[in-house]
Amino acid sequence: MGLGSLASRALRSSSSSRVLSTNPRYNLIRTIVSTPELHKPEAATEAASEPDLPKRTPIAGARVHFPNPDDVIEVFVDGYPVKIPKGMTVLQACSVAGVDIPRFCYHDRLSIAGNCRMCLVEVEKSPKPVASCAMPALPGMKIKTDTPIAKKAREGVMEFLLMNHPLDCPICDQGGECDLQDQSMAFGSDRGRFTETKRSVVDKNLGPLVKTVMTRCIQCTRCVRFASEIAGVQDLGMLGRGSGEEIGTYVEKLMTSELSGNVIDICPVGALTSKPFAFKARNWELKGTETIDVTDAVGSNIRIDSRGPEVMRIVPRLNEDINEEWISDKTRFCYDGLKRQRLSDPMIRGADGHFKPVSWRDALAVVAEVLHQVKPEEIVGVAGKLSDAESMMSLKDFLNRMGSNNIWCEGNGKYLDADLRSGYLMNTSISGLEKADCFLLVGTQPRVEAVMVNARIRKTVRATKAKVGYIGPPTDFNYDHDHLGTTPETLAAILDGNHPFSAALSTAKNPAIIIGAGIFDRQDTAAILSLLNSLSAKFKNLITPEWNGLNVLLLNAAQAAALDLGLIPESDSGMESAKFVYLMGADDTNLDDLPKDAFVVYQGHHGDKGVYRANVIFPSTVFSEKEGTYENTEGCVQQTVPAVPTVGDAREDWKIIRALSEVCGVRLPYDSISGVRSRIKNVAPNLLRVDEREAAVFSGLLKPEGSGKVSAVPFGVTVENFYMTDAITRASKIMAQCSALLAKK
Amino acid sequence: MAFAMRVKVPPNSANLQEARHRTFDFFRAACRSIPSIMDIYNLYDVVNPSELRSTIAAQIRKNAHITNPKVIDMLLFKGMEELSNITEHAKQRHHIIGQYVVGNKGLVQDVDTKDEGLSPFLKNFYNSNY
Repeated sequence: MGLGSLASRALRSSSSSRVLSTNPRYNLIRTIVSTPELHKPEAATEAASEPDLPKRTPIAGARVHFPNPDDVIEVFVDGYPVKIPKGMTVLQACSVAGVDIPRFCYHDRLSIAGNCRMCLVEVEKSPKPVASCAMPALPGMKIKTDTPIAKKAREGVMEFLLMNHPLDCPICDQGGECDLQDQSMAFGSDRGRFTETKRSVVDKNLGPLVKTVMTRCIQCTRCVRFASEIAGVQDLGMLGRGSGEEIGTYVEKLMTSELSGNVIDICPVGALTSKPFAFKARNWELKGTETIDVTDAVGSNIRIDSRGPEVMRIVPRLNEDINEEWISDKTRFCYDGLKRQRLSDPMIRGADGHFKPVSWRDALAVVAEVLHQVKPEEIVGVAGKLSDAESMMSLKDFLNRMGSNNIWCEGNGKYLDADLRSGYLMNTSISGLEKADCFLLVGTQPRVEAVMVNARIRKTVRATKAKVGYIGPPTDFNYDHDHLGTTPETLAAILDGNHPFSAALSTAKNPAIIIGAGIFDRQDTAAILSLLNSLSAKFKNLITPEWNGLNVLLLNAAQAAALDLGLIPESDSGMESAKFVYLMGADDTNLDDLPKDAFVVYQGHHGDKGVYRANVIFPSTVFSEKEGTYENTEGCVQQTVPAVPTVGDAREDWKIIRALSEVCGVRLPYDSISGVRSRIKNVAPNLLRVDEREAAVFSGLLKPEGSGKVSAVPFGVTVENFYMTDAITRASKIMAQCSALLAKK
Repeated sequence: MAFAMRVKVPPNSANLQEARHRTFDFFRAACRSIPSIMDIYNLYDVVNPSELRSTIAAQIRKNAHITNPKVIDMLLFKGMEELSNITEHAKQRHHIIGQYVVGNKGLVQDVDTKDEGLSPFLKNFYNSNY
């Protein structure tokens, strides 16, 4: 909300009218005046003349979409005619007309409560000011947002709100980005008349993420509505009446939602603030860097707020196609992992088994020497789940030049075919899931694997009562679903048509099947995929020219780009025969099969699992320190932007490989990130079209029929602990607290 | 406060010639203070006066491309402030050694004869990430 503009508008209009109406002697006595003409609103109304109409632009790029031309109505906002579809509220009409109405309880993505009364506007022929957020706009309505009556009403509401609001802005974390602060500056009176003691409310314990100072709460109920509508947990509620009204968990209970951090953003005051960020920084000292998140395959848009070399907090950024305006708790609070357990120097493991810091020159020389002694087919490269496309490209180029083509990305398994992009992408697209009316989730628990996708499914299920079927181990859902079975055989039963869900699938208009990336690790991956292929052949509504309902939900940020770049192992026996393993941030790769005498290079940013077996460590950068390209699960390519400088002697991933290639004598032909990108352009040109979703060209999986039989082994749980899935989150103290307190046992 | 009152900023140089003249004056002043600096910070075993002189000259030459007299005046002012800080013993020995004796290349001179054939990329890689 453009509160700065709100404030300036209010100041401008009040000062200009004051010149006309107030007594100059009165001005001499009271140097700080509020808006004295408001005390006689009727007189001032007569004086107000017809304003000339400057061209207005809608607030925050608000757009109107007319589904039916008959439903267009015209209303007048401050005399300015605006066309809106039927059913819009007065507040929405005002924002289309370019007038920002102050509000506390109203939020675009939540249901309308209408209880803060801050959005009162004057409507002609209405006896009282109306709450614009809850009033539907009617044809020909004349809305006045800037009249003395509206201003007086806002001033009165502000006075009531501030009556019980503590004056602790200097110690409040919301200070500087507080709606109440801004709006009281813009619309409030300059003094209060309240002389009694303010009420106080007991703080609630909402867990390790959300700090509550309930005395500051103005009962807008945004958090209650968010929890029940978006997050799908009935944890928060309103207790008591009148001045005893307070927000709380009904029983002594923590807020156990993977989206709980978003209540911090929607709280207009400092009642709900971030616990890890408490008293750490003020928002005006922070530098915001608009980047993306890499802790899951969704690629939520975030803003990293940093102060100097330190990441202070992570907040969401609006992207309607991916994360709307929410982010998961893992995304929001993993940032303390960025500064713990970091690798800062190149290290070589000595004869005593301890690591010794060395210079880059020595470390690269040692690795190059070892690399020349092993046979090309004994070289293996594994890209980690957080790798960017540039580093994976250079790793593949480098190892190819060394004669090996045994390179893969963690989580993609041995049996996956990367020939067709539709075989590993979310073809429906994340926002496209809203059109689906029947979901079949196969071996995936979206609530922990991809929180934002799950939020999208929940939104759809809430809005359209779409049917959800689930095949996999028992798990938590925050929407209605049918648990159909636990093994791939249920899928076969649906294909045969003797399962009750086949009827639902065949009658659906836009059915969506979502396969979890967990199946890539199974022995019968190919059989399951061919089963799905036959499914799409049987249910013609699954893939039509305008709808592709076969989706793969990936787990990691690197997966899609790795498959686009062709990081597919050449032989099945990768690890057993390897003599040289290059782990590029790969921590979750099983190294048990690796021969004892194999030489392991670990290039990564955290001292995580991969380091235990490593012989040489190359320190690299995390996503907040580098410029890297990532492709999310729906095929949308996005880039990270460096927010903070690198730690210690660390280097960017692709630079390390480029340097190593030169030391090895197989120099890669690029010296800059743009050079790597032009190389990527030859392999996967879609990775250069940033912020665009490149849909798969061919739909369907096009798998050969009957490739093996599905096993009766039940689908496994892919993400054991939502809060700790990668090197960054495993190093995070906040995530450790969360998994101790909140993770479902 | 009294110290702040003493600082007198000379009027700006009228033209480039005057600014150039002032620069030479400053260089001479700095060179004249080298013996006392050597004495104050006990630099006899790490550096000799001619090396310090060339360091000062290098610092000035770094800004040789600047032609705006106002900017030159500003840089001269900063230089004079630095010089007075040094002669007033407002710094410690390691500051002088770090800034003017060793330079920004660092103590460990990781220069090798093998570096001859390296690409600029690799040289820069060994140096820093940026």
